[in-house]
Amino acid sequence: MERFAGLLQQLPRHQGEMLRALHLAQEELGWISRDAIRLIARHLRVSEAQVYGPATFYAEFRHSPPPKTLVTWCSGPSCRVVGGDRVRRIFEAEFGCHMGENTADDELGLWLGQCNGTCEKAPMVWVNGRVVGPLSMVDTVKLARGLKAGDDPVTWPQRPIKIAPATFVDAESTYGSEHADSAPDSANDGTV
Amino acid sequence: MSSVYDEIREAAELSAAPRRSPSRPLVRVDLSTSSIAAEADRLWEALEPLAAEHDVDLVRVGTMGLSWLEPVVEVERPGFGGGAVVYGPVRPEEAGEFLAAALGEHPVEDAAQWLIGARTPVQGVPSLSEHPFWAPQERRLMQSMGVIDPESLDEAIAAGAYEALDRAIEMEPMAICDLVLSAGVGGRGGGGFPAGQKWKFLLGAQSQTKYLVCNADEGDPGAFVNRVLMESDPHLVIEGMAIAGRATGSDYGFIYIRDEYPLSIARMELALTQARERGLLGENIFGSGFDFDLEITRGAGSYVCGEETGLIASVEGLRGMPKIRPPFPAQKGVFAEPSNVNNTETYANVPLIVQHGADWYRLHGTESDPGTKMFSISGSLERPGILEVPFGMGMDELLLGCGGGPPDGHTPKGIQPGGPLGGLLPASDLGLKLERPPFTERGVLLGSGGLILFDERASAVDLTKYFSEFCEDESCGRCTTCHGGSQRLVEVLERIMHGDGREEDLERIGVIDKTLQNANCLHGQFTPYAVRGLVSYFRDELDLHINDKRDPAQVAPGLTRYLITDQSDPRLEEAAAFCPTACINRAPVEVDDDDEPSDELGDWQINEPQCIHCDVCREIAPDAIRVEDRFLTMLSVV
Repeated sequence: MERFAGLLQQLPRHQGEMLRALHLAQEELGWISRDAIRLIARHLRVSEAQVYGPATFYAEFRHSPPPKTLVTWCSGPSCRVVGGDRVRRIFEAEFGCHMGENTADDELGLWLGQCNGTCEKAPMVWVNGRVVGPLSMVDTVKLARGLKAGDDPVTWPQRPIKIAPATFVDAESTYGSEHADSAPDSANDGTV
Repeated sequence: MSSVYDEIREAAELSAAPRRSPSRPLVRVDLSTSSIAAEADRLWEALEPLAAEHDVDLVRVGTMGLSWLEPVVEVERPGFGGGAVVYGPVRPEEAGEFLAAALGEHPVEDAAQWLIGARTPVQGVPSLSEHPFWAPQERRLMQSMGVIDPESLDEAIAAGAYEALDRAIEMEPMAICDLVLSAGVGGRGGGGFPAGQKWKFLLGAQSQTKYLVCNADEGDPGAFVNRVLMESDPHLVIEGMAIAGRATGSDYGFIYIRDEYPLSIARMELALTQARERGLLGENIFGSGFDFDLEITRGAGSYVCGEETGLIASVEGLRGMPKIRPPFPAQKGVFAEPSNVNNTETYANVPLIVQHGADWYRLHGTESDPGTKMFSISGSLERPGILEVPFGMGMDELLLGCGGGPPDGHTPKGIQPGGPLGGLLPASDLGLKLERPPFTERGVLLGSGGLILFDERASAVDLTKYFSEFCEDESCGRCTTCHGGSQRLVEVLERIMHGDGREEDLERIGVIDKTLQNANCLHGQFTPYAVRGLVSYFRDELDLHINDKRDPAQVAPGLTRYLITDQSDPRLEEAAAFCPTACINRAPVEVDDDDEPSDELGDWQINEPQCIHCDVCREIAPDAIRVEDRFLTMLSVV
């Protein structure tokens, strides 16, 4: 909090710095606490309501502490048409919490994300900001259970994108079939 | 050309020479958001130690648009025909094997599994320009993408960046506005309003302070044109804004980037710093007395901030709620000063127009929409990615030709253009020309360049419900018609998907649609576009939901159920283990006259109230588990 207060002092005292101040709070503290709102209001010389308004308007700002591992589910239509909603239901069932909530121990949490345009990886989630996809439903269960068992999310292997053959060169020789179907089974045998 | 620019250009060319005409092999790695999602960053880490070993230079580049082949790597070998060959996907664990093959004696044979094509002619390698994804493209904005290092100003300048700015500074502001107006560049956010006209409004505004705003709050799901622009060629956007500053008499601008694009924010920040250091932004640019500077505003996840008045409110540090126009931004915009808001891609087109002229710009495109347009294509496609084609090209050529259509065994069912407010089109409209008028005629929007193809596995009703939910969620809440109307719309669709659809629902949807037209901004007014598309083009499917309580795509949990059809399948055991709600069980068989529990287990059963329709079990045991229409099977039992 002290560090945040110090960094906040470096911002100009202008209401136009509101989003920057809120981002700073979220980066430093993990969420927008009541104290952070008070500090921002004092620094930008506006009322607390004028900070609370934007803080609750924008979907990215959290109003409760983040979990250790945050799974952001992509709600976009490209994901939706290839089973994205099923991915959400699996995570909610496995974690026992809904979008925007944390598990009871605050280890894991779910967050509703908006399409970031990596649609060729659909359906996907972001584990602590890193895109994981395309997910089959079995992959999703494995990922959810792996994270529950304390797997390091960074080591989760990516599933190679299915390769589509092009017509202008010999498809067999150019797009080797070994890329096509390898699911990330081997590295996760122990987790299920 | 000014002598200051000449000096800058000369120095940049000198410093970029090793990369532009390399004396030793150059390996370019596509490092962009989507390639990093495919582990291009890990590939880079794997290549770094190998680069020294192989005596090659490793360069970071933006994306070429070949999203489905990522991570994409380009190898340019001075000795090997002098050309650049593009490979992909190169997995991080294959880095060593790949480098050895691509740099060896016979790269065409040895690296065949990764080979895509040659960007510049190489003997014996098929040219990238013959690739179906590449062939119909007209790459103007994307010319340097995937070729230059987006984090190197030298490379950008050596490739021609800021030359147009130098030229524009010597022009009269009105002459620049006229040039842009005669080129006919329309707003790329989807509105299509002539940019030159908008600039004239701002030029004519009487004020000491005028602001420019770049709308990079690309909120439409499925659209990622601006992201690719900012990540792969950030200086193009900055140069376009600086020219706009000269043309409108404005000396300060804001680039509003959505927070979902952290790499775009980082690269744009870096590009701004570099441009300032080199004197391309700031005071007295090229010694001309023209001042211009930019700052980045980071969004925070709000779709309505893509609406220009909402965007302005957000830049001001308020809730991003759209306002009623007039006053228009050119009268009263950011901090109540006259302002101009354009899309990122609109600004990016400007340097090209100044450089090559309006006639060149109009060589491609149509009367209503001259020039080229970047499209991001995704959904049920063999080759999703990003490309730039002339306006007026057939949508089928883009989605089925370039994109390769749906994977084998699936047929196109519809297209979703222009984001959540864009509406839905049936597959029979694939032949539409990619320009605004035919889309508007069909009651949909071409929008900012996102096109999603969906096949028979997707439910049009479910998609419509999704878009209505999105609109409800993203409504700013100012107008009751909008936030209340979208809520009612979601309720009706939800009911239909749970088998409680009624005949009068169609009428109700019509009333909601009519009411939503009274919303103050386009968000509310366009919210019913999706449901309108559903009623007009997917009526059969909607009727099946309402009258027969059936979902042909079998995604509506309320209208389907999972059934076990083959008890002997050994994979059922695994399926049960994977079930997230543990609803696949078999109880011990009860044996009469015996208190001891039996070891024998009965039939596998799905406990329906617990089932979340996640499809895991069917993925594991596709032969033993089937999805059936809930109400049909119930009827047949009765």
